[in-house]
Amino acid sequence: MAQVQLQDVHKIYPDGTKAVRALNLEIQSGEFLCVLGPSGCGKSTTLRMIAGLEEVSSGIIEVDGQDIVGTPARERDIAMVFENYALYPHLNVFDNIAMPLVARRTAKPEIRERVERIAGTMGICEHLTKRPSKLSGGQRQRVSLARAMIRSPKMFLMDEPLGHLEEYLRIELRREIRALHEATGGTTFYITHDQEEAAAVSDRIAVMTDGVLQQVGTMADLIDRPVNRFVAEFVGEPPISMFNDVAVANGQIRLGDYSVALPPALNRAVDASPPVSVGVRPGKFSIDDAEAEGLSAIAQSVQLMGEWAAILCDTPAGPATALAAKSELPSEGARVKLNPDPEGLLLFNKNGRNIVSAEV
Amino acid sequence: MTSVDFDAGAEATPRSSKVVLGFSDYARYLIAVVFVGFSLFPFYIVLSTSLKSESDIFAWPPVWLFDVTWDNYFSALFVFGGTGVLPFLINSLIITALSTLLAVGLGSMVAYGLTRFRVVGGSHIFFFILSTRFAPPVAFVVPIFLMIREAGLLDTHLALILIYTSMNLSLVVWIIRGFFEAIPIEIEEAAQIDGYSRLQIFRKVALPLVKPGLITTSILSAILSWNEFLIATVMTQNTAATLPVYLAGFSGSMGLEWGPFMAVGAMAVLPIMIFTLVLQRHLVRGLTFGAVR
Repeated sequence: MAQVQLQDVHKIYPDGTKAVRALNLEIQSGEFLCVLGPSGCGKSTTLRMIAGLEEVSSGIIEVDGQDIVGTPARERDIAMVFENYALYPHLNVFDNIAMPLVARRTAKPEIRERVERIAGTMGICEHLTKRPSKLSGGQRQRVSLARAMIRSPKMFLMDEPLGHLEEYLRIELRREIRALHEATGGTTFYITHDQEEAAAVSDRIAVMTDGVLQQVGTMADLIDRPVNRFVAEFVGEPPISMFNDVAVANGQIRLGDYSVALPPALNRAVDASPPVSVGVRPGKFSIDDAEAEGLSAIAQSVQLMGEWAAILCDTPAGPATALAAKSELPSEGARVKLNPDPEGLLLFNKNGRNIVSAEV
Repeated sequence: MTSVDFDAGAEATPRSSKVVLGFSDYARYLIAVVFVGFSLFPFYIVLSTSLKSESDIFAWPPVWLFDVTWDNYFSALFVFGGTGVLPFLINSLIITALSTLLAVGLGSMVAYGLTRFRVVGGSHIFFFILSTRFAPPVAFVVPIFLMIREAGLLDTHLALILIYTSMNLSLVVWIIRGFFEAIPIEIEEAAQIDGYSRLQIFRKVALPLVKPGLITTSILSAILSWNEFLIATVMTQNTAATLPVYLAGFSGSMGLEWGPFMAVGAMAVLPIMIFTLVLQRHLVRGLTFGAVR
């Protein structure tokens, strides 16, 4: 278990690509931190720098107060799970799991006992004598997880461990990963591009894009208080409705053919930092009859997702997405009114910053 | 890369007991048989002549059925030159074994180092290594001879071991390089994180994964060293002379003793054939299947 601190970490590749820029991030001891971001955002590079597989161009990575930049990977006391499993193809499952212990010259009987125990936990006992090539993807990732869990390292690094798996296996395995994290009490640094997965396994989520850390917080923070437009648009399913044609006057914000009164807190921020766009989460719209007050909309498409449906609408302010319960779905093509919850309005200034957090 | 599901493949193409051969199949077999026959005929002559008595060897028309005799082998092994073929056979074995071992051992280290570490001018070094084989060996014979003489290594095993090692090294490096590059880098990164040093990773992870490459290059190096004649005949006279040197001297010193001559030829083929057949069994393809994804 360890506390990890990245201070002003940069990574510039020899070809000049700035993969990670001025990264400051703290992972608390025993925390499960997810890094979420589109591909190429620098999240894997960050993980590989913590692992010691990639050199740091500048900056400090501290583990429990000690700078580990320059320490070789094998001395960092970490375990890693790779997206493509990275099992040793020439060894059977038992030897694969035992590799970290063999490297540390653990006694044979102890190795056998520990491998069998972890194989039991992961449900792969009957495969111990098989080669990885004989296993399915899910089983291979279980072996890879077992290999990581065989020791009690300072931290676990997981680089999109479920990326290659089928949907049902992902849901099953992410529950197990979370359970393993709690059982071992280790510090876990987990990379994914799947926000549902991030929300399911992590304590906190860090959002990155273009090598820059955008925001760190719980899923609720990212949904309700995104610091900028990128976070607002990247996080949240179905995605946020963003309106770019915005006029603010007299404590009211105009959206197409409808004006909403701003709550006092937002109204104060508006003066300091004039908004140019406004975002509304799908859940913050209520759908009313065409006769009611609200933003006029035509329901173009109804996408059922279990008990809820995403209603894709056309409005005078631009396209919008709202949520409706399965029992009260509008028909496609129906005229409705959308009523945004004033407390749920997210206003962004010309730099894309959330005007509420921009002051901070 | 995906792993191959052998079971699924077997189900998709059920083994039918009735295989219908078309005209083109027969044509293919015919061509193959003719080619194999053409290639193996000289070897057949070597083997059959070595087992014939003197009168059968010179019989015309050639006799196809004859009484097998081992006299020629006996003569070759124990009679000629007082000692027979045995010392030369042993020389060949020692020189081939050691130079192959050295070439494959050193070559795989060179290839690994150049593929895994950022070396200034790495690709130029690869090209340079291959370029040592651009010129025909005869171009180097005189300078090498002078070097070997100055070093006092004329007619020693060490001389041939060193020369063959350096000649085969470039071949090994070039072939093994491709095998190392095919290893998914994550496997070695996993080993780094699991606590292994570079040397341990090389030994425990990388080398086992390029086993097919090691076997291929071992066979090639061994064949080249075993059959090499030009350099062997210049650098050695007697003590360290190899089988090809002995074979070449055969006709000169003893007239044309076809029977024993062919017996030596047959014996010269045998060790390398056994070596190749044994190693070939381990030449399994797709060792890296199932490593990733």
